Amino acid sequence: MALPRLTGALRSFSNVSKHEDYCEELTDLTTKRSKLHEQLLNSDLTWKKIIKFVDDNLDKKEHQTVNGDLKTILQAAKQIVGAENGQEAIESGAVFLFKTFHRKECVGHDETKAIKQMFGPFPSSSATAACNATCRIASHFTEEQLTALMQMAEEQNCDNRVFFGKNIVFSFDMHDLDHSEELPVNGEADEQKIISLDYNKFLNNQLNHLQN
Amino acid sequence: MPALPLDELQLTERDPKTGKLRTLPALHPEIKADRSFVLYRPPPVVRDPALVEEFLERAKFIADDLNWLLALPHDRFWCQVIFDETLQKCLDSYLCYAPRKFDASLDCHPEVNDVQKCLHRSVFLTFLRMSTHKESKDHFITPAVFGEIIYNNFLFDIPKILDLCVLFGKGNGLLLQKMIENIFTQQPSYFGDLDETLPTVLQVFNNILRKCGLQCEGASAEPQKLEERVNVTPGNMPLQELKDIVLYLCDTCTTLWAFLDVFPPACQTFQKHEFCYRLASFYELAIPELESAIKKRHYEDNSVFADLWRRISHSRKKMIEAFHILINQVCLQPILESSCENIQPFIEEFLQIFTSVLQEKRFLRDYDELFPVEDDVSLLQQASFTLDETRTSYILHAVESAWEGVDRKKAQVVKDPAPPAA
Repeated sequence: MALPRLTGALRSFSNVSKHEDYCEELTDLTTKRSKLHEQLLNSDLTWKKIIKFVDDNLDKKEHQTVNGDLKTILQAAKQIVGAENGQEAIESGAVFLFKTFHRKECVGHDETKAIKQMFGPFPSSSATAACNATCRIASHFTEEQLTALMQMAEEQNCDNRVFFGKNIVFSFDMHDLDHSEELPVNGEADEQKIISLDYNKFLNNQLNHLQN
Repeated sequence: MPALPLDELQLTERDPKTGKLRTLPALHPEIKADRSFVLYRPPPVVRDPALVEEFLERAKFIADDLNWLLALPHDRFWCQVIFDETLQKCLDSYLCYAPRKFDASLDCHPEVNDVQKCLHRSVFLTFLRMSTHKESKDHFITPAVFGEIIYNNFLFDIPKILDLCVLFGKGNGLLLQKMIENIFTQQPSYFGDLDETLPTVLQVFNNILRKCGLQCEGASAEPQKLEERVNVTPGNMPLQELKDIVLYLCDTCTTLWAFLDVFPPACQTFQKHEFCYRLASFYELAIPELESAIKKRHYEDNSVFADLWRRISHSRKKMIEAFHILINQVCLQPILESSCENIQPFIEEFLQIFTSVLQEKRFLRDYDELFPVEDDVSLLQQASFTLDETRTSYILHAVESAWEGVDRKKAQVVKDPAPPAA
């Protein structure tokens, strides 16, 4: 539940801000996921490029095993993406799987999450198969070769990683509650009485108190 | 070739549909990228794994998108902020719901904290970029057009500015000050908006009083609704209700103070609505009532009430500090800065404000404790030879009598170590 805030009241009751309708809460994630799909399709790294990369960098005799593994990944992608989405979607799914697993030995929590975020619920056996196949392919290459391949997958504007405000010193310090005196627990702080063991005095105090 | 401002710049590009070359203004909806930002939701209050994951998914989308946005070149950035509604909603939802440090503290998952930090910085940088009309020698917008762009597209509005102050004012005060000054300079309509906002701010005070069952001046003109005649006071209302009132009060006071602290030129607009007087009388009605209720009810739940007490003390302090910023900006600074001849209206204003709050004894006492009235008065005396002694001594006498009988000890304690500067 939203906390009561001044600016919340100003947004609701004054006419100096745009009145936003936040009802689309659930649909915005769906839209976002479909946009991610599109981004995936537009990625520079394609399945064909991966196949070409394998062809260019490996001896003929290794081809057969690697081709088998590539097929396994494609098959797994078909299971995860769904055959009805067409070859293009399956291939970009395969690229995604290859990207996700090329440095992993097993399907961990993060990978499961990433795949689920992209494609929704999926059979975990397919993910394991894709992971194992990717591992076997990756073992044929050096670290540098893999890095070069993966750079194709990054967004185009990544080489110029200058972003606005990069050099601006930013502080995370935020306004907090000021330090203040404790809640006076024993009644009014200014009425605190010194308790005397002298019974007469005590009685007088009590009587005074009652009269007041 | 001298660089043109972005608002006059034309781009020539190939039409994606027909393949022909065409010329477009650099600021054009078709140049906007199709990105789709999601709304921000605050971190979960409890460490529930599913809720944490849900939060992280949203937050990471936003963090990625904002990083992408900040990396865009000047013209593409501005197209995006002007024409992408989802981006504006995303930023607004962050300002609305981002946890303030003074909210009830959350025990967050480390990963949540990390993303939250990323977002916090990126949101600030985005607003910084939007408040800068001259990003570099080659990348700038004509100031007048910039003023129109930010105002007409609601890139900034008064609630957002208040949120920015409370979220970023402590650590990044100087930069924020420049941002907000620039916004108000390039677009003076924001002063008009502020003026229109103040009745709502005062209404917030009245609502708090009404919820506490306290009548405020001016409000009695409206007929009272029947269901509100039930005698609810902070002393007997449900705990949750009391908590909400205190949280609301605390947020309101901190936000107002943070704004005045960053942007004191707003004080004149506040004072147009007799803000000093309204603040003092609100304080006088609300604070003692809430304090005594919390003291009386602490046995119900000690730690909750200790927290409420801290929030009340904090709110008190912020109200007094806000009052002081107002006095300082509206009266004292002009007197210190200008020559002797034209200070009379400021002196008059000072006397007027203090005369109006003299009956608010509790407020006067607390204010005097933090900012001795004597000091301010002696400043007036030094500045003007023709100061009306009767009126100042009347004020000082009232301050003195506000202290009478109550808590003299405390006054001594506070006043002794810091005698008024001569």
